[in-house]
Amino acid sequence: MRNRTVRLAALLAAGTLALTACAGGSADTPDASPTSSGPPEPVSIRFSWWGSDTRHELTQQVLDKFTEKYPYITVVPDYTDWNSYFDKLSTSVAGGDAPDVITQEERYLADYASRGVLADANELGIDTSKIDKSVLESGTLDGKLYGVATGVNAYAVVADPAAFAAAGVDLPDDKTWTWHDYVDIANEISAKTGKAVYGAQDYGFNEPGFSIFARQRGQSLYAEDGGIGFKESTLAEWWQYSLDLQQGGGEPDAAKTVEVDAGGPEQSLVGTGQGAMAWFWTNQLTAITKASGKELKLLRVPGEDEHKRTGMYFKPAMFYSVSAKSKHPKEAALLVDFLLNDEAAGEILLSDRGLPANTDVRAAVTDKFNATDKQAADFLAGLQDDIVDGPVVPPVGAGDVAEITKRLNQEVLFGRLSPKDAAKQYVTEVESAIS
Amino acid sequence: MSVVSELRRTTRSADGDQPPGRRRRARGGDRPATARPALRKGDGRAAVVFLAPWFLGLALVTLGPMLASAYLSFTDYNLLQPPQWIGVENYTHMWHDPRLLNALRVTFTYVLTAVPLQLVVALGLALLLDRGVRGLAFYRSAFYLPSLLGGSVAVAILWRQVFGVDGLVNAFLGIFGIEGKGWVSDPDTALWTLVALHVWTFGAPMIIFLAGLRQIPEMYYEAASIDGASRVRQFRSITLPLLTPIIFFNLVLQIIGAFQSFTQAFVVSGGTGGPADSTMFYTLYLYQKGFASLDMGYASAMAWLLVLIVAAMTVVNFVASKFWVFYDD
Repeated sequence: MRNRTVRLAALLAAGTLALTACAGGSADTPDASPTSSGPPEPVSIRFSWWGSDTRHELTQQVLDKFTEKYPYITVVPDYTDWNSYFDKLSTSVAGGDAPDVITQEERYLADYASRGVLADANELGIDTSKIDKSVLESGTLDGKLYGVATGVNAYAVVADPAAFAAAGVDLPDDKTWTWHDYVDIANEISAKTGKAVYGAQDYGFNEPGFSIFARQRGQSLYAEDGGIGFKESTLAEWWQYSLDLQQGGGEPDAAKTVEVDAGGPEQSLVGTGQGAMAWFWTNQLTAITKASGKELKLLRVPGEDEHKRTGMYFKPAMFYSVSAKSKHPKEAALLVDFLLNDEAAGEILLSDRGLPANTDVRAAVTDKFNATDKQAADFLAGLQDDIVDGPVVPPVGAGDVAEITKRLNQEVLFGRLSPKDAAKQYVTEVESAIS
Repeated sequence: MSVVSELRRTTRSADGDQPPGRRRRARGGDRPATARPALRKGDGRAAVVFLAPWFLGLALVTLGPMLASAYLSFTDYNLLQPPQWIGVENYTHMWHDPRLLNALRVTFTYVLTAVPLQLVVALGLALLLDRGVRGLAFYRSAFYLPSLLGGSVAVAILWRQVFGVDGLVNAFLGIFGIEGKGWVSDPDTALWTLVALHVWTFGAPMIIFLAGLRQIPEMYYEAASIDGASRVRQFRSITLPLLTPIIFFNLVLQIIGAFQSFTQAFVVSGGTGGPADSTMFYTLYLYQKGFASLDMGYASAMAWLLVLIVAAMTVVNFVASKFWVFYDD
């Protein structure tokens, strides 16, 4: 079955390549001149995104508003869930049928940008004046803006104050707590509740956590020049804290950890009332709060005040990109502009694609936020002054790093590799993935 | 198609009182091979018309893509840019890819344990049902059901729950005071839950065994029991030898199928092949390489290696069959 699908995809790919090769000559013909008077020619563009049903509904409402404003543009929605999004996108790009407006993600942006799939948004006249500079940089490669951030998130610790209270442990001061504090507090909570509530959920499965850890030490996951920017010993240290938690009882055993991790935010220890702390993106707070039925609190990650500098950063939730092969780049740019800068769009989307990147829009729609969104907005606003900069755009091949991190973390948790050996293997594998 | 013809063949071979070989010979004697009735005019055209859908399917859906993938396996192809010819580099790289070797190890472990276990269970149940259980039709359907469900996403999700920390298996063990663990999320046991899932889908081979058992003439058993042969002896000397063609057929089919297993591992491990690559089936790794790492050239080469492996296994099977499969004719 699977083989056949792969082969079919390969054939389709090969076939369409041949077709696009033939069509190459005529692709340069300019569109009907837009300067001519009279109503513009009706055009149709395609917009792809991933997400939940809620997002699909919200986005459709925004598209309806867009069509009201520009009646001659029809937007064809093209959406799937996250898991199949990039499979589908890569095959449709291979088939010469890329959507006009493509939602991108940090780890894949360089893959697509460096291979000529995406257009430079600066040249398309998209207004980015109201977007934070460091956020714009997150979508910039070699001076070209390949993706405009839809909104921002931060990776933070989600804590359950009720669980702290039940264990008789005070919430930490998150501006000054250290990594040792984090381990001690988690172990203490587990001990005091007899593991009815674990102190923390394992954090090692996701590399943004390590990125922060490395940045606190003046290093980085990826270096400016494309390689890695951290020392093996730093990564080993990160995993060692994780093992300390496991051995001290602060987090569950490896098998339980793997199971919980597979369940996503809703099935997380905090989400099910079995844990006091877990690392998540701020836009996941709503989902976890809903699952737990309790009021949760966002904490800064430990160690922000411990070493050279702070490590936390604003992560672009996702990007809007325009296809370099779009037949209607002008209209595609209009749509991106609308999604980013129009208040009507902002009022519908709210924080669904992260807190709006356009600061004017964010200010205008904040009072429409629900309680958890507001909490996340306040949290991010509080970080603003302490965040030094954003990490570089992850290099080509960074999509693989998520998988490598998850796998080697499991090797460490199950005691199959020492943190030191795992770090060594991590460097080898990541270097070969991004070279 | 092949199931039917194979079944018919075994039916014939088990047909004791009229050995098919003799029948064939007699027919051959009556009519020399050269004297076939001449094709009527238009027969050829009709044949072409009837075969056309199959040919079209073969050419468009199987052969074409296979040729394309053969070409792509010699290229560096990231799906986004045109493929670049790189010769045999994809193939040589395979020998230096520890994760590929691990995937092969996992897949072979799975095939070599799950398939024999499943066939033993299928044969055992077929023997039980063959002894004239009341309500046979019900049991047959009930036992067949898992085969229909086994490869589905829903069951794979169910499996994750059954073998989870708070799952059914642990609840059952709890009755005896045994503390279970997360079977699916422990790299030492995850693969075995998939083997269990495969064994559980014993229905299809069981039905085929049942049909085979039905074709063994009663008179052999009668004669044997008059001679004082025990049940065990009868099984060893009558049932098993006459069933070998069916066992062989099931074995070949199941091995080919097991090498291509994908859904179970994909769903149970959440698409990762984890924990720690312990359920990384070959096809799952191929999928990850092609669509997640955007290395379709390498994935194509992997697909061809799989074709070669399955072909080799089948050849080995057929060669080995000469030593243990017993055809009555």
